[in-house]
This record gives sequence, C-alpha cells and structure tokens, in this order.
Amino acid sequence: MSDREQDSGGFRDGTRKSLKRQASMSRKYQRRIVITGMGVVTPLGDDIDTMFKALLEGRSGVGPIRNFDASTFPTNFAAEVHGFQLSSWIKDCSRWEHSGINSKFAAAAAKQALANSGLIEGMNSGKVDRNRFGVYLGSGEGIHDFHNLMWETANSYDPSTRKFDYAKFCKGGRESFHVGSEADQELHTTAMHLAAYFGLNGPNFNCLTACAASSQAIGEAMDLIRIGDCDMVLAGGSHSMIHPLGVTGFNLLTALSTNKANPQGASRPFDKERDGFVLGEGAGMLVLEELEHAKKRGANILAELTGYFSTADAFRVTDSHPEGRGAIACIDGALKDAGVTPSQIGYVNAHGTSTQVNDRVESLAVKHVFGEAAKHVPVSSIKSMMGHLIAAAGAVELITCVEAMRTGWLPPTINYEHPDPECDLDYIPNKARQSKALHCLSNSFGFGGQNTSLVVSAFTG
Amino acid sequence: MVNDSRRGVVTGLGVLSSIGSDLDTFWQGLLAGKSGIKRIGLFDPSELPCQIAGEMTDFDAKNFLEKKDRKQLRVMARTIQLAVACAQSAITNSKVEKSAINLTRFGVIFGAGMVAMELPETADAAAVCQMPERGKIDLKLWGTKGLEVIQPLWMLRYLPNMLACQVSILHDAQGPNNTITQDDVAGLLALGEALRIMRRDHADLLMVGGAESRVNPLSMTRQSLFLPLSTHNADPSKALRPFDSARTGLVLGEGSGILLVEEIGHAKKRGAEIYAEVNGFGAAFNGTDQADAIERSIRIAMAQAGVSVDDVDHVNASGMGTDKEDRFEARGIAAAFKGSKDPIEVTTIKAHVGHLGGSSATVELASVALSLRHGVVPATLNYNSPDASCPVRVISGSPRPLRKPFVVKTSFTSAGQCAAAVLRRHDV
Repeated sequence: MSDREQDSGGFRDGTRKSLKRQASMSRKYQRRIVITGMGVVTPLGDDIDTMFKALLEGRSGVGPIRNFDASTFPTNFAAEVHGFQLSSWIKDCSRWEHSGINSKFAAAAAKQALANSGLIEGMNSGKVDRNRFGVYLGSGEGIHDFHNLMWETANSYDPSTRKFDYAKFCKGGRESFHVGSEADQELHTTAMHLAAYFGLNGPNFNCLTACAASSQAIGEAMDLIRIGDCDMVLAGGSHSMIHPLGVTGFNLLTALSTNKANPQGASRPFDKERDGFVLGEGAGMLVLEELEHAKKRGANILAELTGYFSTADAFRVTDSHPEGRGAIACIDGALKDAGVTPSQIGYVNAHGTSTQVNDRVESLAVKHVFGEAAKHVPVSSIKSMMGHLIAAAGAVELITCVEAMRTGWLPPTINYEHPDPECDLDYIPNKARQSKALHCLSNSFGFGGQNTSLVVSAFTG
Repeated sequence: MVNDSRRGVVTGLGVLSSIGSDLDTFWQGLLAGKSGIKRIGLFDPSELPCQIAGEMTDFDAKNFLEKKDRKQLRVMARTIQLAVACAQSAITNSKVEKSAINLTRFGVIFGAGMVAMELPETADAAAVCQMPERGKIDLKLWGTKGLEVIQPLWMLRYLPNMLACQVSILHDAQGPNNTITQDDVAGLLALGEALRIMRRDHADLLMVGGAESRVNPLSMTRQSLFLPLSTHNADPSKALRPFDSARTGLVLGEGSGILLVEEIGHAKKRGAEIYAEVNGFGAAFNGTDQADAIERSIRIAMAQAGVSVDDVDHVNASGMGTDKEDRFEARGIAAAFKGSKDPIEVTTIKAHVGHLGGSSATVELASVALSLRHGVVPATLNYNSPDASCPVRVISGSPRPLRKPFVVKTSFTSAGQCAAAVLRRHDV
C-alpha cells in the first residue's frame, strides 16, 4: 500500500490527496465479478475440453498454411483452425452469410459461452434482463478482399509512369467488390452480430489494441459490471491474420518465425533460439457476471475475475520499452487491483510470443514485480502450441488459466530446449505439471505498446 | 476503486475539420452556418455516385508538429496524421505542462475505424502479380517479387490502434490506452470509458479522441456500395440535411476531435480553463429498434448525472441525414424527454462537416463543450422543411443563446450501438 501511495499522487506535493486516495483504496469493491461461461475456437480444438487436453499433451497445432497459397512467402506455416463450420454451432447462421471469419469464430465461441452459462433460458423466459447484458469484444479488423482489391489496383496503375488512375479504380472496385462482405468488414460488425443474434441489449463495445485487445476487452467489461452499468457482459475476442495481407505485413516487419525446416518447432517462447512468432487464429469468449446475480440464479461459477490494469509503453511503435516500464506498471497494477501479492500467484500465463524482445522484456518485468517470488512461480506460453491468436490471444489464455485452476494442471511451454540466460524463470518446459493454483496472472502486450494484465482467482465463496 | 467524487471536466480541445483546423475557425464556422462539404479534390471521384465530402483541402500534419516529431509521419496514414496533429492542438490548448503531471496517470482513449489504405503503396506489388483473369493475383509471385516492392513498415500505417499509440508516444502518455471501433458512436463510448477509468482511479487526465479520413478512393468505393450516400453532387453544401423532409442521404468527411478530460480536482489545482463538466454517460444496443436504445442511453446518462428533463437545454444529436436513422434518433430523443415542460430542442453539426466515422462523436462533443463555454448553440444547417416522422424541435436558422445548464449528446450506429452523455456548463 505504501508503494501505491507514493506513485499514485497526481502531484508530487499531494500528500493530503494521497492519503485520501489511500483511504479509498482500502475499501473493497462492492460488486465482485465471476466467470459463468466460456467458449473457444482454436487451432487445437473448437471446444474447451478438446483444447485443454491438447495443451496438457503439449501438442502443436502448427502446419502448412492452407487458407491461401503461401508456399513462396518467407513464412508458409501457421496454426490454423481446420474444418470449422458455424452451422455446427448455430443452426440458422444466415446473418453471417457474408461475414468474415473473425465474425464467424466469434459467433461460435459466444454460443458455447452462453450455453455454458445457462443464461439463454433465462433470457428467453424474461427472467434475465437483456438490457443489463453488454458486449465488449476485442475482435480483429475485417479482412480485405485481397484478390479483387489488388487486381483492381494493378489495373488502375501504370508502373512505367507510376501514375494511378483513381477513377478507373473506383469504377472497377464498384463492379468487383461484394456489397455484403465489404459492409461486414467494418470494425463494429462483429459485436453487433452477437448482440443482435443473442439479444444482448446493454452497452456494446469493440476495442482494438493489437495483441492485447481481448484481454483489454475483458478488463473493461469487468469494470462495466463493477461500476454498475451491467450485470452481465459477453467479453472476449476473435481474430485471424492468416490471410495474404496479414502474413505480408508481419513478414515485412520480420516479426514471424521463418523456421520452414521445422514449423512445429518454430514457436519456442523463452528458448534462446527463438526467431519470431507463429500466427494462429480463433476466438475466446467469456460470460462475466456480477457475483450476487450469478448466485441468485444458481449459476455454475467457474472462477472469479479479480484484477485488471492497462498501461502504455509510449515508447516506439515497433519495440517494447527495453526496461519494460509499461509491462512492469501493468503487472503491478493488476496484482494490486486484485489485492494479491506475487507469492500468492500460482501460475503466470505469459504473453510469450517467441520473439527475442518480448520474451526477454516480459521475463524482466515478471522478475521486477515478483522479486524473490519470481524464482518459484510457474510461467508458460501456450503460443508455443497454438501460435499467436493476435486480438483473440488474451481471451483464450485467460480461459486456459481458469481451466488450469479447475483441473489442477498447468500447460507447458513446448519446444523449450536451449535456456536463455536473460530468460531464467520456470517456464514449465515441455511437460504439463500438476500444481494447485489459486490465483493466476495473464499478460497481453500489444504491438504499439498497449499492455494489459488480468488476475483470475479460484472462486472460494 | 469506484469513487464517485472523481468527476471529469473538459480542459482542452482540438478540432480538425473541413470548416476549420483551429478551434476559433471551427466555432465561427459552426455559428456562421458554414459547410465544408464540397466536390472531392483529393482524387478524381467522377466514377462514384457520391462525389462530394467534407474534405480538408490544405491539411498538412507538418504544420502542427515540432520538427523532431515530423519524421514519424512517414509511418502514418492520413487518418493517423490527423490524430497526431489534433492531439498537439489539444495539448497546446489545455496548457498542460507534461513535466508537472504524473505521466503514468495520463491516458489515451480513441475512437477509430478501418484505416483506409493508400492504394499506390501496394500498386507495384499488385502490378507484378496481376493475372489476366479479372480478380486473380498470382500469390506465388506475391510471396517473392511482390513482397520485395512493399515498404517494410507498410502494415503499421494502417492498424487502427496506431492512432492512440502514436499519440501516446508523442506525448509520453503511459496510462491506460485503448481504441474503440464502433463507427459513429466510437468517440462517445471512448468518453464513457475515460470517465470509468477516472472513477476507478487509474488516471487523472485522458485524451479522448477520434480521427478518420474517409476521403480516400478505397474507402469511398467500398462505402458507396453499402452506405446510403447522397448523390446530390450538383449542390454539395445542401446535400446533407439532417431531420429535413427533403434529405438526400449521408455525406462522408474527414477530421479529428480531441477532448482533454481531467479529474476536477487535478484541473483546479493546475488552474486549468474548464470548458464543461461531464456528468453522465449511458450506452445500449438494439439491433432492430434503435429508438429504444437511444432512449435508454439518454435515460441512463441523465440518471447518472441526476438531471431531470427540464434541466436540459438541448440535445446535440448525431443527425445522420438518412430517413431511417433520423427517425430512430428523433423518436428515441422524444421518448426520453417525454413529459418535459417544453418540447426538447435538437441540433446537429453533421451538415457542417459530414459523417466523420470514428471521429464524428468527438468533433461533435467539442462543439458541445464550446456551446457550454460560450453560451451559444449553433443551428442545424439545411433544415428547411420539418419531417413529421421526426418528432423533435430542430434548432435552425441562426444560433440561439444557451438557456439551461445541461446538454445531452447522442451518437449511434445504424447497426444499433447507441450512447449518450450529459455535459454541464461549468460555473466558476
């Protein structure tokens, strides 16, 4: 508490203000938030049990890219979702007919989460107030119609003079672009579809903070309930960047692993030989609910969401702050928000992207905040198995934390072979571990410097 | 920590728009009934059904930034340049001294949409890989020759979170940072989130903003397919007619609006000029009847502010200028103010500047803050013939004085995402 008092004053001479704030800090939140439903679509399975079993077995979901012909790209592999059909989750999925895959993944995961929560019946019978049920997603941007867009671009361009004929492009684009799929690329449509289909008539948000998006969505959703704007929020995210422009963008930034010789060994967080991340795709959705609301309807409470904090590095668009200032403040803030000490954290689900910089800075930040406790806390990155789900990563990782607490098993970091002196934590190398965690920390750090940490705790009444 | 004593006030404003790129010109333009809607000049729009927009003719971000910050502009699309230029204006306007504040409690919450690609940047790659059959690109060539002729940092120019990121980097804002993507209502949702962040005591000062340029050939081509855009090209300044029975559809535009939202004690301590107080916020959804969600948003925001229907001077509406949306909005507002002594009055500045996507709500919020500061309400432009199915009284003709201390701001998307905020005149 004294640390907090020192670093929280808006003004350096604000002693009285700090004392006042300290007094307010000691009040407990009146409204507690629990998780009462979860759903996923991932490269390791499109239900939670299948996914979690694969994680404990240490299976890799990485393979050659099938979404498009990536054979000549510097990176030609990714962790894809295969055989996905929205109709196996939602019988009449006509409203998603022209939607991109982000929106479809979101719908399937949302359906699982809502079914799991047992709220659908209550909504249908009018016992659950739809107006108090919000949506807060961190779902990825729409995917451009690559072939038509680039063909019309080329057709409107003269490389010899470098002149671009915009009128010709407008005419060509209007002929070849599909109305429905263009409309559905807009960034507010995924959250709209979920709210409209399931009848969730409370506040409706979507945020994009790159790789932190769905974690930030869950954190802000938690705050919507804490403050009393909602009693329930469907929160999470969905994303696929395994498309020509996505892989192009990341390859140009040299952020992806190019380990073509060993795709399943390419994502190797915290290993000294890591050379970049591997793209994944999918969705994770959770139903967050105010505790008394959940108790009153006899809900099955899966876990309690206890802490959230977000910060910005405000450093560079391409690199994390080398001393991890944003990450440190973020982890520290989330632990304080939850009211737990580092030694109470039984598992850290790392952002662990398998890039040189992220894994080094994240290890540094954990050590800085945890101090002595860093030596004992198990840390793992499931991106070693399912790749990086970008905007959707944080939601799936938080769900993994909940399953770890429920089963008493922690998923490993696979492909961990060569220790890196700068990454010297216990990364649960290669084999799942039986260990009882009561509080878990899940980190997400976005490209561009947005950091989010969440703390989830076993529900103990 | 939910702490209701931590109230938010607006202590700085920045606006870039087609009627003015500084606060005074913008405000005078609103009062004078100036329209920024004109024939598109940034590219040849002759093949589009809608050839007009609220375009900023002479925008150059270099004029806003300090020399040391200008080289970053090359990794920013026009939308992101609008954001950083406007942020600089807002910071200057607020007179915040960054050395005197705790930068870890300085946040940035933005509204943003799809950042439109500049087509020439991938044109060389596309040309190399174009196949004879229409709509076919040779991906094998793209993976090799195509990638070679695209700039390495290409993707960073278009990520929606880059507006807030670049702003946080330029101003060393290390507090909460988020980007909300609900189109017309994004900036208002950002304001609501900023208030929550302040109440939970994670920040003292936040830049709440939005920026978007839709005056881009790809954006305009795509949106011409699915938005009800006006084709009233012959008389651009008369095309966008919110709540008017002779309305002709939506007109897009470009711009940025940024509000410095600050905890009241923090603001007073540094002697900040206070434009307005932000007293309440509400949000709701209805996929089929937006009027219901607009009504609920207003009711929630007013309850939070502790305001009755007779305390409100007027509603600053979204005013899309399309049949369906205007009727929903007017019905929602009328329902929320049922029982007021006088019929509620409504104004909108859409007809001055156009629909600015992710920056609509914050540019409109800036006009609300200016109304409260100066005690004058701008009139709705192009409102000549009332539409009987819009049951509200529209402020038109010329500006009128502010008579009551509260203004309600509404914004929504045609998809059903709605929000409202209550702002109050700050009496010194």
